Amino acid sequence: MAITTEGPQTATETGSPVAATRRRVPPMTLKLGVGLSIAGLIVLFGLIGPLLVGDPSTVRDIGLTGPGNGFVLGTTQSGQDVFAQLAYATRGSLIIGVVVGAITLLLSSFFGVVGAFVGGWADEAFSLLTNIMLVIPGLPLVIVISSYVPNKSIWLVAAVLAITSWAGSARVLRGFTLSVRSRDYVLAARISGEKRWRILLVEILPNLIPLLASQVVFAVIFAILGEAGLSFLGLGASGSFTWGTMLFYAQNGLALRLGAWWWFAPPGLAIAVFGAALSLINFSIDEIINPKLRSQTRAERNKWSMSRDQRKAATEVSA
Amino acid sequence: MLRNPMNRTRTRRLVGLAAAATASVMLAACSGAAAGDQPAGNKDASITVAAGDITAKNFNPFSATALQPTLGVIYEPLYWYNFAKQSDPTPILATGYSWNAAGTELTIKLRHGVKWNDGQPFTAKDVAFTFNLVATTPALNPSGLAATAKATADDTAVLTFKSKSLMQEPAVLANQAIVPEHIWKDIKDPTTNLNENPVGTGPFKLKSFTPQSYVLTKNDQYWEAGKPTIKEVRYLPVQSADAASAALVAGKVDWASAYLPGIDNIMKSNKNLTYINTPAMTTVIVTCANSGLGCTGPQTDPAVRKAIYLAMNREQLAKLAGGGVAGVGSPTLLLPGRDDDWIADAGSAKLPQSADADQANKLLDAAGWTKGSDGVRTKAGKRLSLTVQTVTGWSDYILINDTLKQQLAAVGIELKPSQVSWNEWNAAQTNGKFQLSLDSVGLGASTNPYFTYNSKLATANTAPVGKSASAGNQSRFSNPTVDAALTTAAGTTDKAVQKAEYGKIQTVITDQLPYIPVYVNSMLTEFNTSRANGWPTKDNPYVLPAAWKAWDAGIVLKTITPAG
Amino acid sequence: MRYLLRKLVFYVVALWAALTLNFLIPRLMPGNPVDLMLSKLATKGPVTPTTRAAIQALLGTDADASLWEQYVKYLHQLLSGDLGTSIAYFPAPVAQVIGQTLPWTVGLIGLATVISFAVGILLGRAAGWRRGSWVDNLIPVTTMLQSVPYFWLALLLLFLLGSTWPVFPLSGGYDVYSVTPGWSLPFAQSVAYHGALPALTIVVSSIGGWMLGMRNMMVSTLSDDFVVTAEAKGLTPRRIRSRYVARNAILPSISGFAISLGFVVAGSIVTEAVFSYPGIGSALLLAVNNNDYALMQGVFLIITLAVLGANLLVDLLYGVIDPRTRARS
Repeated sequence: MAITTEGPQTATETGSPVAATRRRVPPMTLKLGVGLSIAGLIVLFGLIGPLLVGDPSTVRDIGLTGPGNGFVLGTTQSGQDVFAQLAYATRGSLIIGVVVGAITLLLSSFFGVVGAFVGGWADEAFSLLTNIMLVIPGLPLVIVISSYVPNKSIWLVAAVLAITSWAGSARVLRGFTLSVRSRDYVLAARISGEKRWRILLVEILPNLIPLLASQVVFAVIFAILGEAGLSFLGLGASGSFTWGTMLFYAQNGLALRLGAWWWFAPPGLAIAVFGAALSLINFSIDEIINPKLRSQTRAERNKWSMSRDQRKAATEVSA
Repeated sequence: MLRNPMNRTRTRRLVGLAAAATASVMLAACSGAAAGDQPAGNKDASITVAAGDITAKNFNPFSATALQPTLGVIYEPLYWYNFAKQSDPTPILATGYSWNAAGTELTIKLRHGVKWNDGQPFTAKDVAFTFNLVATTPALNPSGLAATAKATADDTAVLTFKSKSLMQEPAVLANQAIVPEHIWKDIKDPTTNLNENPVGTGPFKLKSFTPQSYVLTKNDQYWEAGKPTIKEVRYLPVQSADAASAALVAGKVDWASAYLPGIDNIMKSNKNLTYINTPAMTTVIVTCANSGLGCTGPQTDPAVRKAIYLAMNREQLAKLAGGGVAGVGSPTLLLPGRDDDWIADAGSAKLPQSADADQANKLLDAAGWTKGSDGVRTKAGKRLSLTVQTVTGWSDYILINDTLKQQLAAVGIELKPSQVSWNEWNAAQTNGKFQLSLDSVGLGASTNPYFTYNSKLATANTAPVGKSASAGNQSRFSNPTVDAALTTAAGTTDKAVQKAEYGKIQTVITDQLPYIPVYVNSMLTEFNTSRANGWPTKDNPYVLPAAWKAWDAGIVLKTITPAG
Repeated sequence: MRYLLRKLVFYVVALWAALTLNFLIPRLMPGNPVDLMLSKLATKGPVTPTTRAAIQALLGTDADASLWEQYVKYLHQLLSGDLGTSIAYFPAPVAQVIGQTLPWTVGLIGLATVISFAVGILLGRAAGWRRGSWVDNLIPVTTMLQSVPYFWLALLLLFLLGSTWPVFPLSGGYDVYSVTPGWSLPFAQSVAYHGALPALTIVVSSIGGWMLGMRNMMVSTLSDDFVVTAEAKGLTPRRIRSRYVARNAILPSISGFAISLGFVVAGSIVTEAVFSYPGIGSALLLAVNNNDYALMQGVFLIITLAVLGANLLVDLLYGVIDPRTRARS
């Protein structure tokens, strides 16, 4: 569930387009750096990995063996190379993440932003649709739709996940757009006769970008976790390699009980690490949306070169 | 910013409070737990069985969703057929039976001194009532029994069939629970009644029930003297292989039927654990083989099917996919060992375990399939590419597909596995909309091959592609020799005649291969020997010990004795 | 008043839409229950042509009635409280299955969500109040725990704390050997013991979200003018923190909490699968695997009602706890 950390009032305090541009790109902090590099590494692995490793489906007579003998992460119970599977699985999961992120972006911005901007009956209708989609239970719906389609591919799972999850983002975006719409400079632009689409593109959208980015990142995390959960229940794209299906087969092969940590742990850790990296990126984006978060961190305060006592006094608003 | 000197102390106090609260909750919960462990040794003579989901308090022996012990443990049949080895039927409630010359009348002699667990005596009237109820209620009559039953004496029941029905014998003698007339004559709707307080003749009766577990207790009125020796049997639901292995290792269940990968390793974790493997069903590749009934694809060419048969490296399949515990099958679709007497040609009773790629290649070359540049054969512009469907979650079959793909690629056949939901897989197979499909055959009404051959090969049991062949012949196989042989075999009780007819069928199917056998599925059953003895062992597999097997479960539970 | 009316109209429309979707989707699934049961029977014994007729008579599926007729019948049945007969749990009625599994889910998942919310809010309040302190460092850790796939963490904890070091029980809702369900202390203790590990996994994996949200709201609220005024007036820091800042900061979290309560049932599926917990999630999974239309529809109905109810509650509650919304409308 996407949790908005802040209302929309602060991001546009100065209002001028120049300052907005400057603030659109987040300042490089440790958090952002770590997040971007980890996520980047994983994406690289997913893109290039499959080209470098062997065939993940080749069965070998050696059966379940640990790391060594030329297998970086050992083999599964049918002798398949875990490392090769991990590379293909990374690609599969990333595809799902990207597809869900893209579809969520499109649907939520259309139903949220455009609706709120246009106003009138369109806004009412879109809002109604969004609220209804929010109310319909997501996971059970995904389960039933997934079991409806016989041969599930990654694309289908991604589409189903996206369709059931865009509503939350749409609601957040709508709230934000409504508040931005009533700001002075937007009203001024309208009065001065600017075309509606131009207002949307030039005045409103730039302010939305950090929020959109944050929502897309949430969607990607949700997609990857959702797909993992679906695959665990046996309802995912079990014919393809994703982190979730790897875990499904590991669980079916009793990997944990047989002590085959090299099969059970890597996919789970991959999801966790990628998710954490994306969350760190999200934190940094949050700090743009809400500058107050930025100015009060320990790192910031250290820059003020206060003495330890002064810092202690500053920290203890007490309680 | 204001400073409050109470700050740190307050935080510490809060943390301390939280810790104390958590500790007291845990203490309260744990004390509730300590009382719950199973007692060591078995002074109270009770055991725990791993069961499937407990869906409802349903002990109705006519219901398809009745709970596990209903058939065999609470209710009994007339005879018990042993599926572990060829033997005569074991008398349970009946002591003798005979057919008239025309095969239309079955006379059954019943055991004396049997009582229902509510104290009422068991007589032939109950038997007659049961069969009449079945014959007159279509919803209760899956075997299509068409007979009337009469009790001609207290210990004799006669069933009169409309036509020659010798093959109805297993359904009547060994697959029907006998119910008491004095209870069931008052039941308005026997199809939906849950029968929550079952009155049967079996060795155990219901003691208590909750949706999470139920307990059976010894039936003191049981007809066999001195049995059972176990006093209580508890059924505990265990829903996955992981849960089963955890429960077994922790000593929480004494009897479980679960396919556990790496079972030898798991057994090592608890010195009281042992297991037995009684393979009973043959895994086959079902092929939609009959182009005359609408099948399309390269598998309609018998040379292709034979090539697949020859190119399989069954030893590798058994090791990687079968977990090393799969059994060796037979091209006749019967079980080598148990069914040796029914296999006409003893020389070719067992499946070849290694691949014969040369022979396969020769066959395909001779049939006109030439190897293309990418390694896949083609004939008249069509590639030798086959799809094989499996159910998502059946990991062993999925592994068969993966392994087979590599093995068949060596002879130029391209295999494309697909995984679908059970619904979809079943619908496709029943309606013929598939090329290859993995499934298993076996466990008919009795060990007589008639039931397997009839359901899988008879023209009467098939339908064209697009229509439902729910009777069993999904391969759309149709052969007049086989049909004639089946009819002859059904009309006699002479085993020699039947064997000769089955020999004819076997000749046809080992050549045509509508169902390509792979190996025999393992059937793993795990036991804990610290609380009960007398479980089936490798040297003495006196039953098919699966905890879910109807009828056999009753035999096991009255044979085992408490340990220590 | 108009506000209330509009809200109610919306909820009625949403309910109708959800019910219709409920009705349609299971029917779009391939295969029909008769074929299914036949094939399941085939694994246990012989199946003949007459079996089909027998099972069809048993299940009474009227595949001949048109979709519209079925729909009307469905709505009619709902209004009279008849949720149909389950196939997976045949012949138990759906209402009975739901009645017997729902309390377990609501008890476990509901309680775990409340605990997670309470602890998360408290920690978030502390982190926001003392921004830059060590509590702030908890945030990346808890957020990372949120990115771990829930079932993976649950399986790991179950293996470690259930098998390797048998601290917690392996499965089930209560100890079937020693207690029977009822209003007794031993039963309550047993339930608490069996629910501890699943609740722990839920709390661990979801606490991050609440903490983060509360902390961010605290930080932004702290710089508002009225807080400065309060400090200037000389109020105690404790009073400022709880009566002024936290009260305002908690608002978005409360609406989020109410909504998540509505999704408690939907979220229980994976938990119950891992811990073999006898709740409504396991029932739903069994229903999906058995193509049990009636049970699926029943469970969806319950989930939908819960979510709608929670949303309605939030909308009404918000008007009460945040006077600004009242003033605005």
